[in-house]
Amino acid sequence: MARAPAGGRGRGPPSPSPLECDLLDLRRDHTQEGIGVTKTSIQARGLAAAALLAASLGTVGAARAQSRAETLRYVTGAAVNTLDPTMPGTTREAFAISLSTYDRLVTFGRKKLGDSFVFDLDSVRGELAERYEVSPDGLTLTFVLRPDAKFQDGTPVTAEDVKWSLDRAVSAKSLAAPQLLTGSLTSPDQFKVVDPRTFQVTLPKPDRLALPNLATVYAIIINARAAKAHATPEDPWAQGWLKDHAVGSGAYSVDVFKPGEQVVLRRSEAWTGAAPDKPAGFKRIIAQTIPDPATRANLVEKGDADIVIDLQANDAQALKERGKLKVIATPQFNALTLISFNTRLPPFDKLEVRQAVASALPYDAMFKAALFGRGKPLFGATWGEGDPKPVFPVPQPVTLDLDKARTLLAAAGLPDGFSTTFSFNLGQAATAEPMAALIRESLEKIGVKVEIQKLPDAQMSTQISEKKLPFFTEGIVAWLPSPDYFYRNFYTGNQRWNYSSVDDPVINELANKARFERDAAKYDEDARALNLRHLALMPQIPIWQPNQDAVMAPSVEGYTYQFHRQVDYRDLSRK
Amino acid sequence: MSAVSGIARRAGRRLLSSLPALLGVLVLTFLLMRVLPGDPAVFFASGPNAGQAEIEAIRHQMGLDRPVPEQLVRYLGDVATGNLGRSMTTGQPVLADLRQRLPASLELTVTALVLALALALPLGIAAALRPGSAVDHAVRFLCALGVCVPTFVSGLLLIYVFYYLLGLAPDPTGRIDVFASSPPDITGFYLVDFLLVGDLEGWRTAAGQLVLPALTMALFVLAPLARITRASMLAVLGADFVRTARSLGLPRRRIVVTYALRNAILPVLTIAGIVFSTMLGANVLVEKVFSWPGVASYALDALLSSDYAPVQGFVLLMASLFVLVNLTVDVLYGLADPRISVE
Amino acid sequence: MNVLSQPLARPARPSTLRHAAFVLRHNPVTALAAAGAAGLCLVALLSPWLVPYDPVASDVSVALQAPSAAHWAGTDQLGRDVLSRIIAATRLDLAIALSAVGLSFAAGAVVGALCGYAGGRLDRVVGRVVDVLMAFPLFVLAMALVAALGNRVENIVVATAIINLPFYVRFARAEVNVRRDAGYVEAARAGGEGHVGVVLRFLLPNVLPAMAVQISLNLGWAILNAAGLSFIGLGVRPPTPEWGILVAEGARFITTGKWWLVAFPGLALMLAVLCFNLLGDGLRDILDPRMRT
Repeated sequence: MARAPAGGRGRGPPSPSPLECDLLDLRRDHTQEGIGVTKTSIQARGLAAAALLAASLGTVGAARAQSRAETLRYVTGAAVNTLDPTMPGTTREAFAISLSTYDRLVTFGRKKLGDSFVFDLDSVRGELAERYEVSPDGLTLTFVLRPDAKFQDGTPVTAEDVKWSLDRAVSAKSLAAPQLLTGSLTSPDQFKVVDPRTFQVTLPKPDRLALPNLATVYAIIINARAAKAHATPEDPWAQGWLKDHAVGSGAYSVDVFKPGEQVVLRRSEAWTGAAPDKPAGFKRIIAQTIPDPATRANLVEKGDADIVIDLQANDAQALKERGKLKVIATPQFNALTLISFNTRLPPFDKLEVRQAVASALPYDAMFKAALFGRGKPLFGATWGEGDPKPVFPVPQPVTLDLDKARTLLAAAGLPDGFSTTFSFNLGQAATAEPMAALIRESLEKIGVKVEIQKLPDAQMSTQISEKKLPFFTEGIVAWLPSPDYFYRNFYTGNQRWNYSSVDDPVINELANKARFERDAAKYDEDARALNLRHLALMPQIPIWQPNQDAVMAPSVEGYTYQFHRQVDYRDLSRK
Repeated sequence: MSAVSGIARRAGRRLLSSLPALLGVLVLTFLLMRVLPGDPAVFFASGPNAGQAEIEAIRHQMGLDRPVPEQLVRYLGDVATGNLGRSMTTGQPVLADLRQRLPASLELTVTALVLALALALPLGIAAALRPGSAVDHAVRFLCALGVCVPTFVSGLLLIYVFYYLLGLAPDPTGRIDVFASSPPDITGFYLVDFLLVGDLEGWRTAAGQLVLPALTMALFVLAPLARITRASMLAVLGADFVRTARSLGLPRRRIVVTYALRNAILPVLTIAGIVFSTMLGANVLVEKVFSWPGVASYALDALLSSDYAPVQGFVLLMASLFVLVNLTVDVLYGLADPRISVE
Repeated sequence: MNVLSQPLARPARPSTLRHAAFVLRHNPVTALAAAGAAGLCLVALLSPWLVPYDPVASDVSVALQAPSAAHWAGTDQLGRDVLSRIIAATRLDLAIALSAVGLSFAAGAVVGALCGYAGGRLDRVVGRVVDVLMAFPLFVLAMALVAALGNRVENIVVATAIINLPFYVRFARAEVNVRRDAGYVEAARAGGEGHVGVVLRFLLPNVLPAMAVQISLNLGWAILNAAGLSFIGLGVRPPTPEWGILVAEGARFITTGKWWLVAFPGLALMLAVLCFNLLGDGLRDILDPRMRT
């Protein structure tokens, strides 16, 4: 991998600092000093080191401790499977890596939500762009690149690179194109190089999500020259090569990439993208895959890992109670868990049946027993004046009321109930399984017999896509959590994400109208109408927003909940 | 000389005759994966807005849009030319993934087997020397105890006690301490590679990581090994030549080790071969629990996401290893006991 | 583990009973194991009357309680009584193990015996199929089968049966093959017995006892196999209690200090596998006294 660019921005060191240099070399050679840096040697230093390293013990030990302090060890259950985030099947963990290795034109600011920081969809600031301008008619976005922006090989970032990268995003067969489509970014014709530092995007309509889309993980700016050198006639966008090679201008460069095991990132000293004139907080990032959740909890509790965000709810709860670690619990405000009905399959094609089930779900019990209360409930609301709010999701006025459920079932012509299956994803078994057991028990009381189906993830997504599952739980996420985005993607069209297969003219019309609505008051009105329509149709029941429980060493600071529901390593530093 | 060439001929014949079985494994796995209800294309087109077009593109890329018989023929052709396909899960060619991960699995399995043999041989011998005694029963009980705990439970318990509570074991996160540097890739076996570069400290780190997972697996295979050792020793101890040795007044130790054990070791070897190939395929759960970057956990992940190529590659690899191990045992047998080569 | 030692066993002898009594007296471990296995079967049969609580009825208000007088083995995440779940699971687990092993035993004995007796093309074809199965990594095969067929009890049984099958086929084939030209078989044929009759009435009865020993050993293995499938999420459907699922779920709570969730189901599972294994060992001694001398 390329070394840090030499002398970028006039103030960065011409080469990595001496200490970092040592560590880098040690990583590669197997010298005596290299041995000293390993962890076991420190643990066992009373035994072995006396003979081996008596003189240098102090300095090596200190160096090791310092290198540990400058390293962030992040453990996760999933694997990093690519360095190119646009590849189909890219995991969230891989998104997190790409966020650090590449820059985008713009990035989200952050805001306070409760006690924790979250990304702010409404404040978009420059990342590679020094500044940007939106024309009064909302049809032209102009970006001026930072003069000192350099790729990790030391070459400057130009508007040509930006154009090639965004052309690639909308042209190549990848997951970037369908995402950017949600911001009306569809064709290379929309991207124009004005001069080497100025880049322009034109839109067919003033799309409110065009700019935020350029801050998502798909809109990475790639070193076009480096990538083009590996393009072939069959692979004009160098997709094969970029899978294993990150050529960006980001805060970190890739040192080690072992798909499914670990990724080691090294800080680019010249990068000052986030905070003014400061590189990222940690010198080294180790992102490691540890499949067993209990082991992840052990690691962070023992201080061997610095931060973990995908613990089981019960482990997060226990670690919080023990009080040794920092636990930052953020309800995933751009994600939610749903209980979905297939509105095309009987008996769920009847509104009363859906409403009956909604009145027969043991919400409180599920929230406490399955989720250990670690999230924000979306049930049990009472809508008063000003409700529903113009956001998505809103707490729903649904509660457990078996009598009401029985009445509704009778109204649907099914007084004796019916039989169905309730499905969930193997990957979510920790919360979904107890949830399913509770649902089954509760629905039995109104005569609905439920068989529980636990499906491997690929089977679940296939059956959802083929609209074969009648009744199931799933989650949805929106990187750009505006109401129209949610409704367009999850409530319209004959596609996988429209879990409940609704095709309602009111939703279709409102969602598409709101997208291009530039008047905030009118937009809110549309959003409210959509929420009301949702409750009236009851295609699926939003039940809660699970927490992202970020459990970290007390010394780690700056954690922010990000749109891709991963840690942005650039946010973090050690006290 | 003729004995050696005889063995070679025999080995060649065995290898040839195992080819149909390998082909069968290949075809069966292929069909089994196609029966899986999950569609990998849907699964991997997981972007928030991926629609039918993206799914179709991936299907095309994976060749799934062709009829199954044609896919099979293409796949067999690919395998014949050494191309095992590409993993959607890791984004890498399956062959490269397997090559990188196999040493990890082999190292773990070999260590576990050596550990198990080191425990099973003395236990089995002790039991055989006094059949029916308390020692015999204790050994039997001990071995049965080892095999009655699911490996994922014993693994998690070992981690809990030795890492979490006592802090004696290193963190259970793979083949080497994450802050240490891995050895240069010479053989792929960390223990060997560290020795080759003379890095004793690194060797100890790698060995430390191996202890718990290897122990977990060893406990599980103790029973068959100890049982066969006992049975085989019993048979030999009753044989004429041992009686003769005894009547000649040779020291007991010498009788047991030099005469009896040497002759009793062959059946143990056979069983060890079978145990080894079983372990290689069965250490899925151990690899999962210890975050071991081996081939079995790789196959498990692929299976759950209906990622065909890695599972097919893994099964083919395991079947080939099975054939090779059997062959090795066979050859060793032939070398140790020339009577067997005379068919 | 599906590893067989030694070529087993001669046909049962008339003095088997006396020999069995002798072995049991001199082998307390086997006697204990037999008693344990019998106890388990009893629990399985009587489980609906033994459970103190409904094993699937939840009560969230008493979730995750440590063992107490009311709940001897504590309660789980949903407030279900762990002891009741363990007892209820006994029936299902034994049923899975018995039917899986029984299935492979029956199928293996018949197919193997026919191959051993008839030889020829049938034998070669079956031999090839068995070779293919043997070369498969067995646990992964079971996983793939369950994933492909769906995780229902019957499919878990079938998958477990299939991975046990090769052993029984080979065994029956070898034993029948050795005996097909024995004197008493010739005599039966000479007496006008058809081929099927010879196999069923004369050969199989002589082969079965030796094979039966393996049943007990495989029972334990089948239980472990089901537990492993549960751990990776391919076990029986919730909320049905099954030892493997209970253990796998409990394992999630080890670090949280809710030890009873893994300890008690784990003990039950261990006990069952231990009993079957020791019993199998002992049975082998009874049927094959040579192993002990």
